[in-house]
Amino acid sequence: MAVCEVLVYPDPSLKQVCSAADPQAAETSTLAQDLIDTMYASGHSVGIAAPQIGTSLRVAVVDVSESKLGRKHNHGLVVMINPEIIERSGQKTMREGCMSVPDYTGNVERAKEIVVQFFDQHQNDCIIRCKGFEAVAIQHELDHLNGKLFLDRISNPGTELFRRKH
Amino acid sequence: MKHFAVTIIGRDRPGIVSDTARVLYELGCNVADSSSTILGGQFAMILIVSHPDFESSEPLQQAYAELESSGMSVFVRTLKPGGEMRPELPGELCMISVYGSDKPGIVYQVTRLLSQNNINIIDLATKLIGSEERPVYVMMCEAVLPATLSVEDIRDMLENLREELQVDISVRNVTPVEL
Repeated sequence: MAVCEVLVYPDPSLKQVCSAADPQAAETSTLAQDLIDTMYASGHSVGIAAPQIGTSLRVAVVDVSESKLGRKHNHGLVVMINPEIIERSGQKTMREGCMSVPDYTGNVERAKEIVVQFFDQHQNDCIIRCKGFEAVAIQHELDHLNGKLFLDRISNPGTELFRRKH
Repeated sequence: MKHFAVTIIGRDRPGIVSDTARVLYELGCNVADSSSTILGGQFAMILIVSHPDFESSEPLQQAYAELESSGMSVFVRTLKPGGEMRPELPGELCMISVYGSDKPGIVYQVTRLLSQNNINIIDLATKLIGSEERPVYVMMCEAVLPATLSVEDIRDMLENLREELQVDISVRNVTPVEL
């Protein structure tokens, strides 16, 4: 168990394309557990990706089940090792913020529904269909694995500058 | 360090932003938050700037004399200490859209209601669209709700105005999600 420091931009880790992780390696399950602990410890976050704690491997975790927006459609805690989005449909715009880019939010358009394939922490090959907030959260975290921040996807620059609610 | 708010407005043309930025760069000013947009045929810029040595707005005003002589209007406001800091804005964030055939008082009636309920507007844009014969007014207002009010409350509150002004009004939650 370890709650890690969440790195903030301009930390170079956040702009790197991550390498595939070994789903069977002990380090990978330790990393997954660190991500889970760090996400829950932050209190207000619904997802975190490995580069946000300084590890350049393709691992991310998401849990929107406790959030008002995600309560209806969710898969609880989702641990994703080497995730790939294999299908996307629809469009959904949400105003996103990120622990790694404090004090900035912006409207980002993403797929409304996705099918994502990954290995979980028990080495199961999983395919899940997600929609709504859970789908948005997963797309946001998977962007981190490719060195992309939500800043790279903001759809209108208008009114984005204010402190978000914690 | 003293901070200043610089407001610049004039007939739109290519080069206003770079002319403005060049003056600030040559003076050694830092630009913090800024917002610029085209309104009608005018381009308007508002910038919060700072300079390590300036005690008054005089050097800024002098440096902008040339731009002013080209027809731009420049106003420099000296901020009180802390005036450059963004305040904490807790509370749900909502977007209020108001649109309908143009008539006097749309902005006033809507914003008066918000003000009376202690709802803080953080961004407001209005635009006159449609044709000359049938002008349509569009107002987009982003506001922070006090803890005691919900988006549904605002919706109910605006219902009377919707009938009175004969406009369409919609309210939705745009509170950011942290991921």
